[in-house]
Amino acid sequence: MDFAWNSEQQAFRQSVREFLDNNLPDNWEALAHGPGSEAQTSFSREFCGKLAAAGLLIPHWPAAWGGRDADPWTAFILAEEMWMAGEPRGGQYMNVNWIGPTLMKYGSPDQQQTYIPPMANGQTLWCQGFSEPESGSDLASLRTRADRDGDNYKINGQKIWTSYASDADTCFLLARTSPGKGGISIFLIPMDSAGITVRQIPSIIGEGDIHEVFFDDVTVPETARLGEEGQAWEIIRTVLSLERVGIPRFALASRMLQRAVSLLKKAGRYQHSAIEQSARANAACEAARLYSYSIIDQRSKGIEPGPEASAGRFATVNCERLVSEFVVEHVPEALAGEQPMLLAHHQRGIVAGIASGAAEIQLNLIATELLQLPREPR
Amino acid sequence: MDFALNDDQLAVASELDKLAARFDTSPVDFHGFALVSNELDQQLEENGFFELASMDDMGPIAAALATERLARQPYTAEIALSMLLRPMLDINLPRPFAVIENGRPGRFVASAKTLIIIDGDAIGITHPAAAHVEALPDSLYAYPMGRLIGSPDIKPLPAEQAATVRTWLRVACAAEMAGLIKAAIDATVEHLSVRKQFGRPLGTFQALRHRMAECTVLAGGVRNLAFKAAWSGDAGDAALACFHAQDSATRVIYDVHQMSGAMGMTLEMDLHLWTYRMKALLSELGGRGGQSTAVAESCFAEA
Repeated sequence: MDFAWNSEQQAFRQSVREFLDNNLPDNWEALAHGPGSEAQTSFSREFCGKLAAAGLLIPHWPAAWGGRDADPWTAFILAEEMWMAGEPRGGQYMNVNWIGPTLMKYGSPDQQQTYIPPMANGQTLWCQGFSEPESGSDLASLRTRADRDGDNYKINGQKIWTSYASDADTCFLLARTSPGKGGISIFLIPMDSAGITVRQIPSIIGEGDIHEVFFDDVTVPETARLGEEGQAWEIIRTVLSLERVGIPRFALASRMLQRAVSLLKKAGRYQHSAIEQSARANAACEAARLYSYSIIDQRSKGIEPGPEASAGRFATVNCERLVSEFVVEHVPEALAGEQPMLLAHHQRGIVAGIASGAAEIQLNLIATELLQLPREPR
Repeated sequence: MDFALNDDQLAVASELDKLAARFDTSPVDFHGFALVSNELDQQLEENGFFELASMDDMGPIAAALATERLARQPYTAEIALSMLLRPMLDINLPRPFAVIENGRPGRFVASAKTLIIIDGDAIGITHPAAAHVEALPDSLYAYPMGRLIGSPDIKPLPAEQAATVRTWLRVACAAEMAGLIKAAIDATVEHLSVRKQFGRPLGTFQALRHRMAECTVLAGGVRNLAFKAAWSGDAGDAALACFHAQDSATRVIYDVHQMSGAMGMTLEMDLHLWTYRMKALLSELGGRGGQSTAVAESCFAEA
């Protein structure tokens, strides 16, 4: 057991920090507020292009696809630094984390040639068409249909709470090709296809974050299907495995906690219950960080992360919530507009337990797989 | 960064498992609180476990692993301070160790050969004679409790050494608490898996599953933070680990007793051995208030 970073990892982290110092504009914090806003999406395209040119967008991808076969630690250090800075990659983090690697595994040669290079160059944005009005955590109940029509599919249905949909170039869509859990397939759909309507849903997290996406007789060729019909569940398992570590949200939470304490100290109000609450939030951030590191350690040894990943996700939710509560209770003035990054963190913190799979689903997984408690009846 | 145990640590863990197996069941006729084993103490001493932290190929992290592992046993002995504090002061100091904090009774005080005396910001050390200490009968805390009754000569420690003592007391508290929390959760999970109500095991009810899962997330955090603090020896890491241990224990103690119901009230389940030991550790080093001040000084110094 050893908690030290090796010299290569330290140098890589330093290079990412230097890149951020040199490439984030002075008004970045104002831009960062509203993770799906047009302004941030536009900035992210430019920023990801520069990251790609510096070899910092996809270092963990195989060399054949423009990466350098870097280990999971490299990818996580990169993600940690990006998230700590407010995630200037915007929605493109999904490309590098799981969409690209999933296409490498399951995509046809044409799909790979079409979609992977723009991701590697930082020039494309995707959205994920998973949730539906009647289908959230219970993904297997989704209703959007993809019906055969000769060599094509006609897609009809509705997705909801879709992040980045108004600016996305392509949708990673789950649709039903036959009844039952085994009847779900995946389609890669250009978002400018005829029959797609996107409506933004005003949300507490800021401009451009979530949307409704309607599919009315959207016709796509058979070649838009990823893998075989009914293979979605297997592919989604791969996606989940790539995403299991989750986003290093603790990194921004920890930075925002430091900032909030700094504001309190300047105001002469860092005392009494603020001291205890800041310690609680800080401990939660560091607990979440170590959970994440332990999971990356497993992955770097070729071990598939188990239910500990769910524990890590829940620990991260805890820390975001505690930091948000600390800020709103002790430095409420910071949320009035002068600290856009604190405001962005606060808004994200409110939904921390909902995004990327409800926290209660993680708790169920922990109860069953980690504690080995008997399963709930269904 | 490597969370796996190295070969030496694995060997120690294996030896500890073997040793601990002899002390993993309380006697059927035991219906008390402080279940102490002199034999366990003797075995640890004879096999060199109290020297782990000062061994080149082991270090404090191996001592923290051992402390956490042994805290899961129903039998106890003065382990944490001898494992983690003594080697940082002087491995030749006589053990058992104990702490008197601001005049209050403390764990293992009556049998201590070395006493750490905390008086506000000052820390001193003494080796009490039998006449200086006395055991407190009928303690609730599942440790043998004792107090100082005389006035032994106390040698004040210089500030740097006092800081070292505080850091390693915090690491010891966190490592011990990690083991206690795990043991309490394990015992409760067993109860929830076999106890049936409304025709099915309690553990199938989501209201209980989620609470146990939340306790488990806290337990993992306490364990990782304790080991990280043992690895670094950093004052901030130690304060964070001890704070998280004490803070998490308050939640876990309530939840495991609530879920164990009347069974947890009985002395035959042994749950009280872990939960009342946790309660004893809750107030150490100033409790959460004391740890938060240390966190503020160490972790927010530059904020």
